[in-house]
Amino acid sequence: MTTLGQWEGSIVKVTIGATPADGGTRRATCTIGGDRDLPLLGEPGNLSTIPKIAFDVCDDPALWPEVLRLTMGDELGDPAAMAARAEREMGADLVRLNLTSTRRKGFSDFPAIRKTIEDVLSATGLPLIIEGSADPAIDSEVFQQCGEAAEGENVLLGTAEADRYRSVAAAAVAYRHGVIAQSPIDANLAKQLNILLREVGVSQDRIVIDPYTGALGYGLEYSYSVMERIRYAALKGDQDLSSPMISASPDALTIKEVREGSIQQRYETGCTWEYTTALAAIVAGAAIVVVRHPGTVPLLKDAIAGLTRGRGG
Amino acid sequence: MALKALDIYKILPKKNCKECGEPTCLTFAMKLASGKGDVNLCPYLDAEARELLGASTKPPVAKVTIGVGERSVTIGEETVFFRHEKTFVHPPGIFFEVSDLDSDEAIHAVATRVFSESFVRIGQSLQWSGLAVRCRSQSPERYAAVVDSIEKKGYHLPLVLVADTPALLEAALPRAGQFRPLLHAARQDTANEMSTLARNYGCPLVVADPDHDRLLSLATRSEGAIGQDLLLDASPATLRELLVSSSRIRMEAISRVPGAGYPLYVDAGGIEGTISAVLLAVLKFGGVIVTPPLDAASARAALTLRQNIYTDPQRPIQMSPGLYRLGNPGPDSPVFLTVNFSLTYFTLTSYLEATGEPCYLLLADTEGLSVLTAVASGKLSETTVKEAVQKAGLENVVSHRTLIIPGYAAPLSGKIEDATGWKVLVGPRDAAEVGEFLEKEWHS
Ligand code: SF4
Repeated sequence: MTTLGQWEGSIVKVTIGATPADGGTRRATCTIGGDRDLPLLGEPGNLSTIPKIAFDVCDDPALWPEVLRLTMGDELGDPAAMAARAEREMGADLVRLNLTSTRRKGFSDFPAIRKTIEDVLSATGLPLIIEGSADPAIDSEVFQQCGEAAEGENVLLGTAEADRYRSVAAAAVAYRHGVIAQSPIDANLAKQLNILLREVGVSQDRIVIDPYTGALGYGLEYSYSVMERIRYAALKGDQDLSSPMISASPDALTIKEVREGSIQQRYETGCTWEYTTALAAIVAGAAIVVVRHPGTVPLLKDAIAGLTRGRGG
Repeated sequence: MALKALDIYKILPKKNCKECGEPTCLTFAMKLASGKGDVNLCPYLDAEARELLGASTKPPVAKVTIGVGERSVTIGEETVFFRHEKTFVHPPGIFFEVSDLDSDEAIHAVATRVFSESFVRIGQSLQWSGLAVRCRSQSPERYAAVVDSIEKKGYHLPLVLVADTPALLEAALPRAGQFRPLLHAARQDTANEMSTLARNYGCPLVVADPDHDRLLSLATRSEGAIGQDLLLDASPATLRELLVSSSRIRMEAISRVPGAGYPLYVDAGGIEGTISAVLLAVLKFGGVIVTPPLDAASARAALTLRQNIYTDPQRPIQMSPGLYRLGNPGPDSPVFLTVNFSLTYFTLTSYLEATGEPCYLLLADTEGLSVLTAVASGKLSETTVKEAVQKAGLENVVSHRTLIIPGYAAPLSGKIEDATGWKVLVGPRDAAEVGEFLEKEWHS
């Protein structure tokens, strides 16, 4: 490799959300991918697309980072209110609704998650990512509900893994949504899962790769390079790795450094930690970064502006 | 341009005598081409061939050392663009900036922080590299006095001397020149005088120009005067310019474009979004990064990021299975069983350490799979757990007979009890809850 900007492959374009014109209710859609160069190196808007920020909200804060529970109060458990804030105050590009209630032992209140999804959809005009259950025993029912409740909205459903992808994929195909394909920090496994998903009918332009992002100091050293490898392979023409990537670091706000000091210090450290992790992911090629700390979104917006604006621009 | 293995082979003596430690001249050529071999190992090369091969097989980014003694900083010697090709070699030096218009008190507060602050992470002590002393007063006397007072305190920290004119640097060099400070900067109009200063004091020198081609030609010109003790400052003003200039220079260095093969100097303070610029420079090939002193949270994040980026990304993602001790556990301490996926290990240890409770962590061999996938695929089963318990000789380590298993492995608890004869306690699904779990379930 000797020159910048000369590649055979490109990143597949994936659109999330649907406006009334496409049968949905979103204010605007969000398109990622389309890049034909290393992350952010190409001309912005042409060879390189601008990374997007998704703000993460949940329906049961018990499993949400303590530093947010201690500082944000009741609002944290109100995903519709948080989604509205993400759009209006923070300026996020997408909302990820994390159905943490489904992680409780013996969860069975499926109508409740339907209602939550509907509430969030009406509280925000942003495109939606929905993170469902993580338990194979209830996956099928949960994803079916998610798919149906969001029908027409072209959401991104998560998360498919090598050993449990059928329920997510089935719901995505039936209700025409996208799928997040997560593999544990390994380009080959990401490739395999991509193939598996296509075999069950998910089209390439509805797959987003989640290579799993370890937090700064806790696995980022691997995730960063796996993202670089996936991007590089895609540009070299590997179709099975040419989906755009999403990066979410579930541990960035719970690692040791964020549990030390006064609550104010913890809040600040959490923000810095999550921001640093997300910035590294963007530089390594993530098209969407998902964050949970309200302070992270404006920092990322500034950095993305700086990374995509030239001299005098 | 780097020579290909076959080009190198043509130059070698083709004796296949094995004296270089390689079976044939061709394999020796391949090793040299990959940047791993040492030309001098072949005793039959004439001087001309040696020089030709030496120049084309040495690392594409020159090695530069700043400062002397224990705290000196070595950068450069990098060979690749992506760290998955080969681990990056020398982490960038991060220098905190002070100015000669600051009060002496303020300057020494920063110097003391750079000297003594350190964070220990996974057995490494992470420290700041040195001080960048900027001349803003434009007074040679003041600048010399400030540099002198820093050296007199005996921090023995590497310095970057930053001044607009050769005359200002010349005033400070008698006080600091013997400690190999980095000089900033030679520009088109000052290059000759700056090179003379650098040569006279034996100091590394930064060449600066915002125009890429002019920067590289300036470097080539200075090389003639002082050799390879150079850094490049592309003077980016935005994050985008930093990313693009750093990437381009690294790529050209690898392609052996003349003038590109030097470590990068990044003045993060001069870039919009300074903290982000520090992080970006750590990610993207920075050699020396100069920044105003960072706040506590950013400081830790920057040093942790530097540690992450400069570790080997090929290191297996699996932990080796077996028994790990956290704190100083005794025969009564709890035993947590989990998988050997390294992220599970890191996350769980971080939460367990936070509880302050000494304990054992027993990693079953799940081939690096996470708990959920290992349970679903049968890699975490009563058989693998039994194996782990036996291999660790757990019954001789603790006096109780209780295993704490991950919440998601709850369906296996009966089978594990039957297979091992140990009592199973189902732990939380989320590592974040181990503290509460220990309090409520273990201690009661
Ligand atoms: S020592 Fe020189 S001549 Fe002998 S095998 Fe090695 S490269 Fe060939």
